[in-house]
Amino acid sequence: MPWLLLLLPLIAAAANQLYLKRNAFIASMLSVASVAATFAISLMLLGKENAVAPLNWIAIGGFEIEIGLKLDQLATGMMVVVTGVGLLVHVFSLAYMADDSAKARFFTCLSLFMFSMTGIVLASNFIMTFMFWELVGLSSYLLIGHWYQRESAADAAKKAFITNRVGDFGFMIGILMLWGITGTLNFDDMKVPAGISTGVLGAALLCVFCGAVGKSAQMPLHVWLPDAMEGPTPVSALIHAATMVAAGVYMLFRLQLSIGSDAFDNFAGDTIAIVGGITALCAALMATQQNDIKRILAYSTLSQLGYMIMAVGLLAGEAGMFHLFTHAWFKALLFLGSGAVIHACHHQQDIWQMGGLLKKMPITGFTFLIGFLALIAVPGTAGFFSKEQILEAAHHHDRLSWLFWVAATVALLTPFYMTRLFAVAFLGKQRSKDADHAHEVGPLMFLPLLILAVLGLIAGYPFIAEKLAPAYEKPAHLFHFSGLVPITSVVAVLVGLVAGLVVYLGKERDPISVPLFRDRFRIDAFYDGVLVRYLQDAFAAIVHFFDEFLISGLIVGGSARIAEGFGGLFRRVQGGNLQGYAFAFGIGVILVIYFTAF
Amino acid sequence: MLALLVILPLIAFIAILAGAPARKSAVAAGLANLALGLWAAATWENSDHWSISLPVLEKPALHLAFAFTDGMSVIMVLLSVLVTLAALLSGKAPEGRETLYYGSSLLISAGAIGAFAATDLFFFYAFHELALIPTFVMIGLLGRGDRRDAAWKITLYLGFGSIILLAGLVWLANLAGTFDIPTMVRAAQEGSLSIDPATQKSIAALLIVGFGVLVSLFPFHSWAAPAYASAPAPTAMLHAGVLKKFGLYGLLRVALPILPDGMNAWLIPLLVLLVGNILWVGLVTISQKRLDLMLGNSSVMHMGYIFLAIAALASATATGQSNPLAQPAAVLLMFAHGISIAMLFGLADRIERNTGTLELSDLGGLAKSAPGLAFLFGMVAMASIGLPGLANFAGEVLVFLSAFKNYDPAAGLAPVQVAGILAIWGVVISAVYMLRAYRRVFHGPSVPSTENASDLSFADRLPVLLLAVPLLVVGIYPNLLLSLLK
Amino acid sequence: MASLHDYLLVSGLLFAIGLAGVVLRRNIIVMFMCLELMLSAANLTLVAFSRFNGMNGLPDYNGQMLVFFVITVAAAEVSVGLAIIVALYRARQTIHTDDLNSLKG
Repeated sequence: MPWLLLLLPLIAAAANQLYLKRNAFIASMLSVASVAATFAISLMLLGKENAVAPLNWIAIGGFEIEIGLKLDQLATGMMVVVTGVGLLVHVFSLAYMADDSAKARFFTCLSLFMFSMTGIVLASNFIMTFMFWELVGLSSYLLIGHWYQRESAADAAKKAFITNRVGDFGFMIGILMLWGITGTLNFDDMKVPAGISTGVLGAALLCVFCGAVGKSAQMPLHVWLPDAMEGPTPVSALIHAATMVAAGVYMLFRLQLSIGSDAFDNFAGDTIAIVGGITALCAALMATQQNDIKRILAYSTLSQLGYMIMAVGLLAGEAGMFHLFTHAWFKALLFLGSGAVIHACHHQQDIWQMGGLLKKMPITGFTFLIGFLALIAVPGTAGFFSKEQILEAAHHHDRLSWLFWVAATVALLTPFYMTRLFAVAFLGKQRSKDADHAHEVGPLMFLPLLILAVLGLIAGYPFIAEKLAPAYEKPAHLFHFSGLVPITSVVAVLVGLVAGLVVYLGKERDPISVPLFRDRFRIDAFYDGVLVRYLQDAFAAIVHFFDEFLISGLIVGGSARIAEGFGGLFRRVQGGNLQGYAFAFGIGVILVIYFTAF
Repeated sequence: MLALLVILPLIAFIAILAGAPARKSAVAAGLANLALGLWAAATWENSDHWSISLPVLEKPALHLAFAFTDGMSVIMVLLSVLVTLAALLSGKAPEGRETLYYGSSLLISAGAIGAFAATDLFFFYAFHELALIPTFVMIGLLGRGDRRDAAWKITLYLGFGSIILLAGLVWLANLAGTFDIPTMVRAAQEGSLSIDPATQKSIAALLIVGFGVLVSLFPFHSWAAPAYASAPAPTAMLHAGVLKKFGLYGLLRVALPILPDGMNAWLIPLLVLLVGNILWVGLVTISQKRLDLMLGNSSVMHMGYIFLAIAALASATATGQSNPLAQPAAVLLMFAHGISIAMLFGLADRIERNTGTLELSDLGGLAKSAPGLAFLFGMVAMASIGLPGLANFAGEVLVFLSAFKNYDPAAGLAPVQVAGILAIWGVVISAVYMLRAYRRVFHGPSVPSTENASDLSFADRLPVLLLAVPLLVVGIYPNLLLSLLK
Repeated sequence: MASLHDYLLVSGLLFAIGLAGVVLRRNIIVMFMCLELMLSAANLTLVAFSRFNGMNGLPDYNGQMLVFFVITVAAAEVSVGLAIIVALYRARQTIHTDDLNSLKG
């Protein structure tokens, strides 16, 4: 039965690719059916700890790599998130992609993604994680490049894959080093033997963390995620907000569970937390100056992922996973809501071309409002509970309590930029024809929004979270508004909200302009202009030149020319004169006789 | 039966010379060989059909001997027959040159199979030479572009490599007093053939350089890309996919078991060179402007990974450690790379035939007009950059694991592991050039050359599927192939 | 009675004439005949040695055997050689060696 979780989406993807390319309707139905079935299975398996006999993938001598399923509370909870969001996104896509000419391909790729993501969640060893890690990268590549005829989409797909590969470089080294240290690849048996120096262990963990930096889009490899918004919006909701980008957090936490969190209690954990904190802060700053509705949400995703990574680095992985859980629902909600808006506004994505949409699209607008409140962590919504735990963890950390203030700043920036988004796009009056013509979307699209909105409100309460959330730990007390942490966070939300309303409500154009934030700290420009153009391409061209000139031209060409010179010398001897040959031959014979006889 | 694998292509070759319909006879021989190869893979262990030994000379004892010494030969023969049939099916001979075209391909195939199945050092070498000559001829006579230059380059290079290799092999056979490889290996392992370290070192140097030139080991690699770019598709497929593996096969079959100390003495230079293969040639690949040159360079680059497995094995056996992963890793990756590079060259040929160009700047948006081609090319491009589910990934991951097999955290990183880490960066490099090329050729808006390009017909798909299916099957379940190695 | 010395002298002369002909003449037919002359010189030497190195009054038959071989091979050579010359003449309309220099490097 657990194998069905992996097989169903794979079968759907294979069948769609091989047989149903022409029949988009059946293809999409098959994909939806497979994800619905896996969701049902996930609910049934929830919280159970099954042992499933693994398959041998590679067996040489005593060495084995298995394809196994690890079912524990963490994995089953995560499966519910993945298949749950997946199901809603599939349903939403039925309407969103209805007119797309390559609908069958889209659903094929979605099923492939579901298969790969399930593999990461259920992986029982590191090689299997890595395999599916690469496969989600592939499905992400395919889905970002869905409209491959657009130059920007094709570039974004390529960028996402290659940036992830840079992270995987470290990930692979980390896996190999951990294999050397612990002697096993299986999560179940991983233990740090005595006598391993902190330096080696920390280095290995940081290498593994590189993988998470790539997949979860942490600084400095965050550049691909905003560009990935070139993909269809349901894809952004499923892959680039709720599930795949969270795989880095999941993987780190899985490692923390199996190797013991003590292993992280050194410079490795601190580095992870600091990277997460910096990402959260920088991404929030960048988000304040973006104009594309999906890009704002993308930077907000980056920022929230920074929170989760920070929590894992602070050895509070439970808090990170809890935030992953709540974030999945409300961020999927926000993305699908933005998808509905984009759909209604004829693929207009600039918030300054929208406005007043709350009136035009009430259901979408109000569900978006709920997602917005959950994201900025208004008390009572799901986001509040999980963010609270992370702030709490930062506050109590021995060495890095300053990260608490970083996190609090992010908590202030989040309401500010989200209010900007909401006030500009949904309130005020319509600023363009596209927004004028907007109308409420159909039930296939708003039903998922409603469900997600409900979850975005209640998912944080213990009675839900205990059942569904992976690795949930009930907080000691709910809603206690005393102490530094809750007060700070509530104040931050209020200040951000009010500031956002004051600055942006009813404005026609952006009153604030910070080019540094708008240009994303010029990191993308630096990568494209310096790293890619000079360090890679120019360097490659130089190497290419030397290859042609030095190796091919001088050494090889030189020896060829020397051989040619000798050939030219000897050529003269061969004059074509028969008598000459005979004469030389005769002389030769005489010489031979002379030397042998005398 | 085994001799039949070598003889069938030769018979077809003679039949073609005698006037039999070229394509039909060649494909028939290829099909029969594929069937034989699969049968061999299924039954070689418990059947004595699969060895033959004919005395040729009494003194020194020289036998025309073929046998499957172990699973490695079986896998290489399997690779040969698969690629041969695909190459024969996918090629299109120029008008009036069918005899030369198919005849040469058959000769290359026969030579490769002979070299992989021979147990006698002399024939092991001779069959490879037999296969090289038609390769040169095909590039020189039927090639594209700068074919004379490319043909000269490959001939000079490989001739040079072969001579050095011959010197090393003759020296070795002289010391061992026999031409029979299994006897030599047994003697070396039992200790009855003990070659002093200094001599081992010299012979190993000759073998590394000789085999290395044949496998385009850095810095002896600059023949490969122009030769493959100029070669007709079947020749590029057969040479890059099959024949080139002869050098690696030779190192695994002859050099490592007989000269462990000699190989280990050259460990550091070998590591430097293989990293050169991966990083240097990788960068060269990035800056290519034409698809065929890029593929040619990429095939050079990927040889570095297989050398890494060889180096891991060399460092382990000489120090008395065991590394059971290295040899399967090398064999698996040889198989996977052979299949994938043959498929890439076959499809690149298709792209050229359908659009008339391979210049990356003249292509774009081909996925629109030729989705089938785009899917298959995408699949094999992904295979060659090591995507899980396709055979190359299993090979690469095993290579990396074998490099870290004897990693001791307390002692720090050994040279093999340092080279391994540098080699892993190659995974990024190959993603960069492959995806760039794929994006240039298939994505983006259509351009005039691709607007009306035709897609693959069913007949075109057949040879590609012949390669794609093993790539996928072995990728999903590598044990299928690895079980042959036990 | 002629001694071995006389035979060898004649044979040497014949060989020298033949060699001079091969080296100096330009007509292939003549060169060919001179080659035959050189073979005859060798045959003469063989027969002479056979006669004078005999034991018990019998000549050494090995030498004479060799002569028969040479004659046989020479006959074959003549037939092949003349055929080639005829073919050459047909192709090039000449058998003058100065005109036959297309192998010049």
